[in-house]
Amino acid sequence: MRKLTKFKAVISLCLTLIVLLTTEGITAMADELPYDSYNYDYREYIHYTPAPYIPSRTVSGLDFTYNGEALGAFKTPQDMCLAENGDIYIADTGNNRIVILDNAMKNVKKVITTFNNNGEEDKFNSPYGVCVSERGWLYVADMKNKRVVVLDENENVMQIIENPQSESLDDGFVFSPMKVTVDYADRVYVIAQNMFEGIMVFESNGQFTNFFGTINVEISAWDKFWKRLATKEERANQQLFIPTEFTGIDIDPEGFVYASNIDATGVQGVRRLNPRGEDVIKKGANANVGGDLLIDGTSDYSGASQFTDVVYRDNGIYSCLDRKRGRIFTYDHEGNLLYIFGGLGTQEGTFTLAAAVEDIGGKIAVLDATKANIICFEETEYGRLINEAVSLRYDGDEAEAVAIWERVLELDENNELANTGIGKAYLTAGDYEKAMHYLEIGMARDYYSIAFKRFRNQVLTENLSWILTGIMVLAVAWFGFKAYKKKKKGEDD
Amino acid sequence: MGKYFSKEKWSYMFYTITHPMDGYYWIRHRDYGSVPLAILMVILFSFSFTANRLMASFVVNDLDPRGVDLLFELLGVLSFYLLLCVSNWSITCLMNGEGRLKDIAIAVGYGTVPMTLVMVLSTIISQVIADDEQAFYGILIGVGIAYGVIMMLVGIMQVHNYTLGKTLLTLLLTFVAALIIVFLLLLLSNLLGMVYNFFHSIYTELIFRV
Repeated sequence: MRKLTKFKAVISLCLTLIVLLTTEGITAMADELPYDSYNYDYREYIHYTPAPYIPSRTVSGLDFTYNGEALGAFKTPQDMCLAENGDIYIADTGNNRIVILDNAMKNVKKVITTFNNNGEEDKFNSPYGVCVSERGWLYVADMKNKRVVVLDENENVMQIIENPQSESLDDGFVFSPMKVTVDYADRVYVIAQNMFEGIMVFESNGQFTNFFGTINVEISAWDKFWKRLATKEERANQQLFIPTEFTGIDIDPEGFVYASNIDATGVQGVRRLNPRGEDVIKKGANANVGGDLLIDGTSDYSGASQFTDVVYRDNGIYSCLDRKRGRIFTYDHEGNLLYIFGGLGTQEGTFTLAAAVEDIGGKIAVLDATKANIICFEETEYGRLINEAVSLRYDGDEAEAVAIWERVLELDENNELANTGIGKAYLTAGDYEKAMHYLEIGMARDYYSIAFKRFRNQVLTENLSWILTGIMVLAVAWFGFKAYKKKKKGEDD
Repeated sequence: MGKYFSKEKWSYMFYTITHPMDGYYWIRHRDYGSVPLAILMVILFSFSFTANRLMASFVVNDLDPRGVDLLFELLGVLSFYLLLCVSNWSITCLMNGEGRLKDIAIAVGYGTVPMTLVMVLSTIISQVIADDEQAFYGILIGVGIAYGVIMMLVGIMQVHNYTLGKTLLTLLLTFVAALIIVFLLLLLSNLLGMVYNFFHSIYTELIFRV
């Protein structure tokens, strides 16, 4: 009995040691990053990747002084905009002011609380969206004042867009602009509250012209069938089929408008609208630009991603901000998902209510409305390599991108884009066997087929003499055998 | 004719594939067929089907190999085979069919042979075709399956001595019968589960009290 307890003591000591040792390993891992970075492969499985971006800095209003006084915390800031000259404009909605930071986010350049409205002092009331045009004018979606204010560099009102008149607007329509952006021709694009018809476009003179990028409601045949069966009262009680509103907006240098919207099905959370307002986005291999692909479940945390803002970055790359799970999804011009990072939480580098995203000279900045701060992310080697390779491909330099893709593969072995990129380069170089290998891992079926076809022809031309000789020999042997048999049969008779 | 897997049975099976009308007639009237051989053919069909899904080349095959399970598919094919035979038998018994369950099993089992051959052939051919030649692959499989279905149809028609119209009618009824069988099986398993639960709860009750 005594022996047994001793044995037990040794065992339990061993177990304790094992538990201690293994958990120590886990805690050492956990303090690295507050979020997982991952991507979806062709089969829509999650595969974890190295972090493409890591949190570098958190900026809050408390960090700044302006004219010798403390700036004070932001209050539910809703929008952020990068001007041509590098300044960062923040719509500090709850404090009814616009804060302008320098590019490094070290100093406050200016705070706009009042402005000169034709000689009278005027104020904002919940400035929700902010944008700076190419010539440096500031466009503010002054939501509760129901107008868009256009200011020059010295806070003089250049224009006020309010009370739009059109036959296509309802009589009781109240214009509450939420997000605003301006293109190179000073056309103003406004996302207004409860405006389901699309983005409102105003000419440079402030005249409302048309709706833009209307999202059509898709009614399935099944729904139509039920609608037909239902009585009038039942129909009145049913949910209305209302298209979703746009949530965020950005413009690329070519004048294409990127607009995010909330799609409950999780298929398309962002649109790329051409000047005629048609959606021309490419959806990539998984036919999806809607964020997370795995959205099943019934908890609050499951469900489709809700894109609240989009930023066009460079070379066809754009990033979308998901407020549901606080993630940033980055796509290239073909709609391929490049990388995913970010998360909800209270740790530094996570968000509670993500409101806006901006690309500040290669850094990604996210504005958090609840925490009232800006979280900056800087790219890691992994993120930089992918950005560079995708940019090279966008310019058509696929051969040059190979070295970068190979480095990406060292960091992330199963990266499909990298494998496809390398495979395509081998295909152009004429090494079809290697091309087939990489293209198969990259799941690029079309290019694999091209490589395979050329490989097959190569094998055939190289061995054609052998194959033909073989066929000849077989044919001769066959006829010889037949003749021999016939002869033998004749002899037997 | 010899035992289940004798040379005659094999060669008669291939004769049936090339001459279904004639072949099935003598299977019914002279016992030229073999049920174990038919079951073997169904098993081979299941294997070839799985092999096609796993080994067809990347160009034509978009399936996730992680989702293919040989054993699971074998069970599926066999239970479908059993269901088809039993439901057809139970319908044709009521509709003056001359075929025995044995004959139906052979008719359906031999009918899978062309499908098996085509699955193997297309898997091999898929190794040498490119994207724009996919149509050949598709046509090959389509023809094989169509031939197999026609064989089964002819087989059922011949063993029961039906006209074509009556065969199609009985096949429709077979489908209904299969649904009823599945429904009854579900009901049965549900009831058995309840009985099991009843005794299990008595057992746990006793355990807690004693």
